[in-house]
Amino acid sequence: MNNFRFGIRQKIITGYIVIIICLIAAILAVTNQLDTMKGERNFIIQHDFAVRDLTSQIEKDLLKMETNKRAYIITGDESYLQLYNEASSQWSKDYNTLNQLLSDNPSQQKRIAEINENIQNWVAVAGDPPIQMKQQNDTAGIADFFKQDPGKSQTEKVLQQFDSFRDTEKSLTQKRAENLNVQNRYLEIGLFSLLAFVILVSMALAWVISGSIIKTIKEVVGTIRAMTTGGNLSSRIHVRSNDEIRDLGEATNELLSSFEERDWLQRSVTDVVSKNQGVSSLETLAEIFLSATARITESSYGAFYIKEGKDENVRFVKKGAFADTAADVGRASFKLGQGLIGQCALEKRVQVIDRIEGEYSLISSGLGETKPNSILIAPIVHEDEIVAVIELASLSSYSKQHISFIEKVLETFGLTINRVIDRMEIARLLSESQAMTEELQAQSEELQTQSEELQMQSEELQMINEQLESRSQDAEEKSKALEIAKKELEDKAKQLETGSKYKSEFLANMSHELRTPLNSILILSEMLAENGNQSLSDEELEFAKVIHSSGQDLLNLINDILDLSKVEAGKLEIMLSEVNLSEFPNNLERNFTHIADQKNLNFTINMAPDVPTLLQTDEKRFQQIIKNLLSNAFKFTEKGSVSVSVKKVQTDVIYNGVDYWLEVAIKDTGIGIPKEKHELIFQAFQQGDGATIRKFGGTGLGLSISSEFAKLLGGRLQLQSEEGKGSTFKLLIPSISDESVSAQTFLGASAEVATALEQASHSVAVAEPPITAKIVPAEPEAEQPSITVDEENVFYGKTVLITDDDNRNIFALKTALEQKGMNILIANNGMECLDILDANKKIDLILMDIMMPEMDGYETMQRIRGTGEHTDLPIIALTAKAMKNDREKCLEAGASDYISKPLKLEQLFSVMHVWMTK
Amino acid sequence: MKDFLWNNDDNQENNITETLEMELLLEGLYRISGFDFRKYMRSSIHRRVHNRMQLEQISTITGVLEKVLHEPAFMTTLLNDFSINVTEMFRNPEFFSAFRQKVIPELRELPEIRIWHAGCATGEEVYSMAILMEEEGLSHKTKFYATDMNEPVLNKARSGILPLSKMRTYTKNYMAAGGTQAFSEYYTTDGHFAYLKPSLLKQISFLQHNLVTDHSFNEFHVILCRNVLIYFTAALQNQVHELFYDSLSPNGFLGLGDKESIQFADCADKYTDFAEQVKIYQKNKSRKKG
Repeated sequence: MNNFRFGIRQKIITGYIVIIICLIAAILAVTNQLDTMKGERNFIIQHDFAVRDLTSQIEKDLLKMETNKRAYIITGDESYLQLYNEASSQWSKDYNTLNQLLSDNPSQQKRIAEINENIQNWVAVAGDPPIQMKQQNDTAGIADFFKQDPGKSQTEKVLQQFDSFRDTEKSLTQKRAENLNVQNRYLEIGLFSLLAFVILVSMALAWVISGSIIKTIKEVVGTIRAMTTGGNLSSRIHVRSNDEIRDLGEATNELLSSFEERDWLQRSVTDVVSKNQGVSSLETLAEIFLSATARITESSYGAFYIKEGKDENVRFVKKGAFADTAADVGRASFKLGQGLIGQCALEKRVQVIDRIEGEYSLISSGLGETKPNSILIAPIVHEDEIVAVIELASLSSYSKQHISFIEKVLETFGLTINRVIDRMEIARLLSESQAMTEELQAQSEELQTQSEELQMQSEELQMINEQLESRSQDAEEKSKALEIAKKELEDKAKQLETGSKYKSEFLANMSHELRTPLNSILILSEMLAENGNQSLSDEELEFAKVIHSSGQDLLNLINDILDLSKVEAGKLEIMLSEVNLSEFPNNLERNFTHIADQKNLNFTINMAPDVPTLLQTDEKRFQQIIKNLLSNAFKFTEKGSVSVSVKKVQTDVIYNGVDYWLEVAIKDTGIGIPKEKHELIFQAFQQGDGATIRKFGGTGLGLSISSEFAKLLGGRLQLQSEEGKGSTFKLLIPSISDESVSAQTFLGASAEVATALEQASHSVAVAEPPITAKIVPAEPEAEQPSITVDEENVFYGKTVLITDDDNRNIFALKTALEQKGMNILIANNGMECLDILDANKKIDLILMDIMMPEMDGYETMQRIRGTGEHTDLPIIALTAKAMKNDREKCLEAGASDYISKPLKLEQLFSVMHVWMTK
Repeated sequence: MKDFLWNNDDNQENNITETLEMELLLEGLYRISGFDFRKYMRSSIHRRVHNRMQLEQISTITGVLEKVLHEPAFMTTLLNDFSINVTEMFRNPEFFSAFRQKVIPELRELPEIRIWHAGCATGEEVYSMAILMEEEGLSHKTKFYATDMNEPVLNKARSGILPLSKMRTYTKNYMAAGGTQAFSEYYTTDGHFAYLKPSLLKQISFLQHNLVTDHSFNEFHVILCRNVLIYFTAALQNQVHELFYDSLSPNGFLGLGDKESIQFADCADKYTDFAEQVKIYQKNKSRKKG
């Protein structure tokens, strides 16, 4: 660019000057035109008026001469003559002036010359002559003269000429005025066109100048805006024009450079400071700081020293190093004032050493080693105390910017170091406290565990307590009633005792009384049957046998009844004695082999080798049981075998003095006993069924008696049987080795043992067949109790309130629940439900339908919970197929749980289990 | 005063001896059983051991060690004492609620979801999660790995049998956790127990795994380890956290117990608080080393 400056001021001034020049030119032109017009106007005014005046004056002089001539002639007064002369001289004077004025107009000049001639004629003809006559007193001449009056025509001619002259003059004036008007018009037009021209020039200039200014400003603004939005501080403004805008651009560029520098500084500082954040150890801080600082200052290596120790022992210890190579750089530590770096620490100011001499560390690279060119040592100050020193070395030299960066970054770094030190301390304390907190947590967790256990235990205890309390209340209430009842009972017992005595006596007598005639019948019929004297026909013989066997049956029946009544009356006595078991098989064989032979059955007896020879028991009853069982076995077995096996068994039931148990098992291959009859057959007068009785005969008392006897002996009778496959009866009796055990103790014990045994054997004798009992799913957990407990136990006797408006639902639910032994109450709507709940305190669970007319399930539940009385009462809401909203409403209303319709019974029972299990 | 001082000394001596005894016991237990309790919180272990000592009427910890070494049954008992199996279904329902609302949307797009319950105890938590995933319609692509170091406890977990008496609490928890069905859909009962639906159990692999001694065995999208780490020392916690970090997929989730926090662990900065309120953390995508 050349040095020619054409600034904004110049541009504007130039513009204005052009406009002003235009204006001046215009004004000059106009003024000039005006002057011309003024001259013309003046000409019109002066010349034309003068001409007119002069003509009038000449006319007047002529008339004056005429008048004064006549007055002189008439009066002869000399003064009139004088006036006449004056006028006479005057008009020629005027004529000359007029002639001069008309010098530019020869035609008019000619006219006035004619006028002049006429006047002179007049003077010569009509003016002077009469005067001379007067002076000569030629009165006749005068009279004659006036008679002729030669001047008159002259005068009229002159006046006429003047009129025509003036008309011409007037038309001339008019002409000039019109000319003036035309000029005036031209001037107006000229003025307006000048104005238009100036406006155009001004606008053009304004456009050009403002354009040149705005264009550059726009360029600058665009560049600045681009920098602002683009954030690129490195771009610069370029201005082509050489004016103030260029100055502005250059100033802005300078500002930008300064900003860029500051920005670099700021960014570098922020970069370093931000990296320092969150660092929790001095070493890491030193490493991070050094690497960042070195990168920014283009240093090749650096070392970081932290002050340690106090007072005399202050040392600066290296906490971090940075090097392009992995080599360890710098001294491990130094003291205040020791060496350059120590000196720097002492002086607390940044030092830059450019000319390196002596033995400075070499900066090594892959290819070799070189000496640093420049070294920078800077102290880090916090609260006016040196806390650390850094040393940096570079292959190039440190710029001002680098140094100001270092100064800037170190301003706050002291604080950072302090903060890190503080933080390390805090972290240490924190981890200590955390350790403690965790221990506390662990303890609290454990406490929670314990408290959970305790809670459950206390819950259980509370329940037990409550039950006990209510029981003791019940007991108190009932104790009075009991006392009364006791008295009544005592009375009744006495009556019963008496009655029983009567009954026993009656039975004993009866049996005696019955036996007596029976005896004779039996004996006689037997005798008849023997047919000693051969007097009876075969038919009669058969009759006798029938009578006998019937009598025998009757007798057995009577005996059985007697025994049974004795057992029931507690009258049967047990006679303990030593029974020799070694004789047992022989006895049985003797008694039953022939029956076996008769029925063509296999009969075997097995004695286990460990069975003792001696047994302490009531032999008679023992034998009776075995006999009964064997009789039965033979009676109900058509083919196959009957076997007796005796062995020792161990049971879980331990009773003082009982060493082991003796098991006598009688097994047959007979008709067997259907499962459902297993319990029944031990009751008096029961058999398999009516048909069996008819087929096999018997009273059905044998088993019940045997069972009673077994109990008396402290044992138990068990049955395993399957219909059609045979039965096994097992007699279990205790063996008492201690002979000192009195019969009384034994009997007392026997009842208890019997009960225990009964429970132990219950599952075998009563419930499922053994095989199925074992098929309970393989339980993975040892601690889990066997799930043989009857399901109904949970529900049995529980009261459930069904609230539903649909009778079919109610019926279905009711049927299902009643099958489980539950008591069912029905409410057809919410109000009924509340009423029933008020009236019945023993409701265990409510099944609540939601959709009901009048009062729906939600409201009902809210009311139930609202009373505060039934907060723990389980309410199971029966919702339509679970809408999320429904469930939430159920919970809000106070439902314990919900299940959705259509109900699955298994799920219903599951939920009821959950909510009814205490 | 003298007595007091004397007692004090004596106590201190006792403490030193007991510390030694305890170290020997844990070392012995580790050598003989492989179960490493050496880095467990001593306070907890201490209480457990003393509890056992009181029950068995053993006067010194050395006595316990002797029984451990010579009676395998006692060793098992002691190991069971050490593993604390306090758990319930939908424990801290707000955790499951938050999981459902916040974590599930993040998992939904994954082709397969693997969830690891570390220290699952008797399995109630993994059952809960299985129910949750089924309700969210994700069970078909979810695999649950439930691990515990205690084999008997795992056996119990495998059975899916729950005490009936707890079901009321679980029902309440289930509801509070935002269950979308009826809780009774997921179990059947008899008079004493509730039985978890077999289809839920089928999705869960119960594996024996010891957080202290075993390594990672898969990559998981979610790891739950709630109220387990509180029994560990800080060092062991860090070790286990390392294991979790290595086992988590990028952006995977770690769930801790409501009284636990990742804040103090070394790896804290590798996770982002995802639901701090219920202690769910998300692993950061890229690993920043150094």
